[in-house]
Amino acid sequence: MLLADARLPTSGHTQSGGLEPALLGGLDPADLDGYCRTRLETVTLTEAATAVVCRSRAVSRRPTDDVESAWAARTASPALREASRSLGRAYRRVALRLWSTAPALDELVATAAPSRPRVLGLVAAATGLWAEAVARLVAYDDLQSVLAASLKLLPGDPVDATARLLTLAPQIDLLVHRVALLNSPDEIPAWSAPQIEAWAEAHATADRRLFRA
Amino acid sequence: MPDPRPDSRSRRALRLGVCGPVGTGKTSLIALLCRELGPHLSLAVITNDIYTDEDARMLRGAGVLAPERIRGVETGACPHTAIRDDITANLLAVEDLEADFDPVDLVLVESGGDNLTATFSPALVDVQIFVLDVAGGGDVVRKGGPGISRADLLVVNKTDLAPYVRVDADLMVREGEEARGGRPVLGLSRTDPEAVERLLAWVEDRLSAFRAGTLVPEDPGPMAAHHHANLHAHDHHHDHERARRP
Repeated sequence: MLLADARLPTSGHTQSGGLEPALLGGLDPADLDGYCRTRLETVTLTEAATAVVCRSRAVSRRPTDDVESAWAARTASPALREASRSLGRAYRRVALRLWSTAPALDELVATAAPSRPRVLGLVAAATGLWAEAVARLVAYDDLQSVLAASLKLLPGDPVDATARLLTLAPQIDLLVHRVALLNSPDEIPAWSAPQIEAWAEAHATADRRLFRA
Repeated sequence: MPDPRPDSRSRRALRLGVCGPVGTGKTSLIALLCRELGPHLSLAVITNDIYTDEDARMLRGAGVLAPERIRGVETGACPHTAIRDDITANLLAVEDLEADFDPVDLVLVESGGDNLTATFSPALVDVQIFVLDVAGGGDVVRKGGPGISRADLLVVNKTDLAPYVRVDADLMVREGEEARGGRPVLGLSRTDPEAVERLLAWVEDRLSAFRAGTLVPEDPGPMAAHHHANLHAHDHHHDHERARRP
């Protein structure tokens, strides 16, 4: 619950889960639901799988460098990788303060800018979170980033955003089911989303942004 | 305990925050500091805009500091959060600048123009300036708030405009001094060399204290509830009518 709380100081308020780039790139606001579902099937699926595999490795005291490489290979957009690593730095800062003696986090000390799913996987190993829980955390946090940002970017009742999240719960369950048993970086799904990547790249050089990514 | 912060207190830069309502001259004050201090100190600037880099572009355009030493941080339309509740994005930006331009003597962090109640977390900046201006009205100082009462320095800016907006700048400064229990207040105008000298002397003094290890960041206090009676200076968007409904 602590890790999924928007009040955790990890700069989540600077992120829109790609929604601002998408809207600037021409996404029809009426397609917000489709946008969320597309993320769950593509970039978020890859992130959740990466977190699960990192957790699995860390639980058995094995390194996760190659899992990060597998994630990077499946995240073609430099802007998306940069956004994830920026959040990873934020989580790393919190994790090293809260669980400073956890052996599973030793790897983090020497890794200045890990991706977000890698840090979450290591934190899951350090804190005894199950694979299902960390996968659900990644998916939930991603959708909340999109929907919270939608309140800033689109007109709407905040309760509608919460209701939308609730209707996406079966898709989150599906994602959790798909990645929870993964153990190897080779098994991480690679369903890229070229449009989301193109929007992310355009956003990296846009000059009127509310959100980092 | 592994410290995620790679720098140690002795060798990192002094972090100076500049906050205050929109349009009071925060960016101009930073440009002034860059122009005056740049020749003999290694400086870097972080801006926190509503839209990412308005202020950063203005500063770069002013030509007072190498453009790559000026970075904008996105705040997700929450400028008060970025300097107080979740300072992560700003802290990472400060560390990046310190690493990229090592050694840096002074990092200036400009808050996004927000309301009277927003102040910096002492975990982000070592020392902070709260900026008001005479054009905002002579009564703003009396309305108070943590920044006005307890920021390390209160600047009453644009004193040269006072006659045109029928405000007594000296009275504003005196009332500021009364409200602040001895903490410094500075009436400032870019066109007043003596006031500029006093500002620079204050910054140099804080830098000396920081380097001597005697500077302890003081917290002006938490953000108070928004005042909605006749003071509505914050410029982020939220729906007050809806917020009041059960």
